[in-house]
Amino acid sequence: MKILEVRNLKVYYFLHRGIVKAVDGVSFSVEEGEILGIAGESGSGKSTLAHSILRLIKPPGEIVEGEIIFQGKDLTKLSEDEMREIRGRDISMVFQDPNTYLNPIMKVGLQVAEVYEAHQNAKIETVLDKVVNLFKKVKITDPEKRIYSYPHELSGGMKQRALISMAVALKPKLIILDEPTSALDVTIQLEIVNLLKEMKEELNASMIFISHDLELLSEITDKLMIMYAGKVVEYGSTKEVFNNPKHPYTEALINSIKYIRKDTLPTIEGEPPSLINPPNGCRFHPRCPKKFDICDKTEPSLITIDGRKVSCHLYGEEE
Amino acid sequence: MSLARYIARRLLQAIPTLFILIVFMFILVRVLPGDPARLIAGLEATEEDVERIRVLLGLDRPLHEQFIDYLTDILRGDLGTSLKFETPVIEEILIRFPRTLELAIVAELLSIAIALPLGIISALKPFTKTGALATITSLLGSSMPIYWLGLILIYVFSVNMRLLPSFGYGTPAHIILPAFTLATLLMGNLVRITRASVLDALESNYIVTARAKGLSERIVIYRHALKNALIPIITISGLQLGALLGGAILTESVFAWPGIGLLLLDSIYSRDYPLIQGIIIFYAVILILINLIVDIAYAFIDPRVRISLWKSE
Repeated sequence: MKILEVRNLKVYYFLHRGIVKAVDGVSFSVEEGEILGIAGESGSGKSTLAHSILRLIKPPGEIVEGEIIFQGKDLTKLSEDEMREIRGRDISMVFQDPNTYLNPIMKVGLQVAEVYEAHQNAKIETVLDKVVNLFKKVKITDPEKRIYSYPHELSGGMKQRALISMAVALKPKLIILDEPTSALDVTIQLEIVNLLKEMKEELNASMIFISHDLELLSEITDKLMIMYAGKVVEYGSTKEVFNNPKHPYTEALINSIKYIRKDTLPTIEGEPPSLINPPNGCRFHPRCPKKFDICDKTEPSLITIDGRKVSCHLYGEEE
Repeated sequence: MSLARYIARRLLQAIPTLFILIVFMFILVRVLPGDPARLIAGLEATEEDVERIRVLLGLDRPLHEQFIDYLTDILRGDLGTSLKFETPVIEEILIRFPRTLELAIVAELLSIAIALPLGIISALKPFTKTGALATITSLLGSSMPIYWLGLILIYVFSVNMRLLPSFGYGTPAHIILPAFTLATLLMGNLVRITRASVLDALESNYIVTARAKGLSERIVIYRHALKNALIPIITISGLQLGALLGGAILTESVFAWPGIGLLLLDSIYSRDYPLIQGIIIFYAVILILINLIVDIAYAFIDPRVRISLWKSE
């Protein structure tokens, strides 16, 4: 059963120098208990996409079109109050940098306790025992003391654990992870990933896992969606996409992480395109090794091929 | 808890600062044009009279001896005797200072009471009429010259409406006009700082976390954004208060408020060197104390500062 379905979502930032089309017509869905991975370079729109689902996009950013169907309701049509009830309770989020996503002048335990305050009308001080249990669950050592620590007194890994405990507190149906390990040391990353997997099993929640670490995504996700310049270029089961990439961009991305076995690091030439004036035709064509005559003229549509979706002219719509 | 040790250390650190200031003051007063001995003796005095006074003041002795005397006097709390009032400088300062303190505190509180809501509103509703009004008010306030605003206020409230006294010190009514004049000037800065720091706090990532938890906008703003925004606001108002304690010279002279600012002005006009030196040293001590108080106030709001200030010892 689909827990979340996003249809033709467009999120634009209205800046003085132009309109940044950060997410430009993205559709996907997440099944119950499934982990969907979203990968792409910085600026591909993956983080904007994650924030849009909970409608946490700040002006000048705006959801301009599309539907976000969660449990039968279109989140884009809810009032701010109705949306507030969903945040943290039904859908929660873990962010990239635990150092800046915690309030520096408030005790960590109280910040976690605020989830109960927001949704169960509880006074913060009365739910601290629940926070201690949560901290135990996410393996924060010495939880009775740690709830009274300020963020700067904890390590990056501990802070991320605290943020994860906040995200799992009310047993949400969907957890959105926006590069939850990027800001952490490599050794800590693995611990956090294992913790997330554990939490997912325990809660039987669905997850959207955003990362530019394809190797990590290939290990833990069920489905994989590759984004480029605000658009989906390939989307299918992780195993298939990873082992047999169809889109030249996906292929290049996967090649670049297998460099350890080679002498040189294969890179993708050029820069990610401007999102204000994206290239005509296929947005990847200026950097694409396989481009041919129509690539800079018409935009390829997302077609289904071999059980996955690809947006590339190499796989014409002749069939 | 080593808050006491921290305070002791900060006070010790202030000693070199004060010493340099005293040396500087000592030299400056002696290279300035104008002979204090002649000034005291008066225009009619003979050369011998002037010389006698010079000896009396110790001005004939070598500079280093004069300096050592001066320093030991200061250490004893003796800032010398005012040439004009012929009373100990410290006494004169202690009479005037509480009045300046009174004016400064009332003005600062008034400015906070007006500026904080204005700054917050203009940050929360940047593109509305209220927001624009707050910005315009702050701009007007900070660009209004004090002597002009002071005179207009006197004209309207004292001369025309006969509601408030135009000058002097005594009843609570006397403080209204000078405090309001000063507050208008302070407010401009404070509104802009408040607005900027609230906007800054609202842009922070922890605000996104707070919203993602499902907290109401009211809690997000009051508990998370405003409390963080308070940190720079406290610094600015602390420093403003420090500057005011040196005497708001313009305001005090427009309203003939007999505070330390007016005293400094008087002492400069009459070349009352002991008094000038005394006020400046006193002012330096006050500034050092205010900075210390601001830092401690800081630490009570921000736990990170607490660590860097004294817990880490």
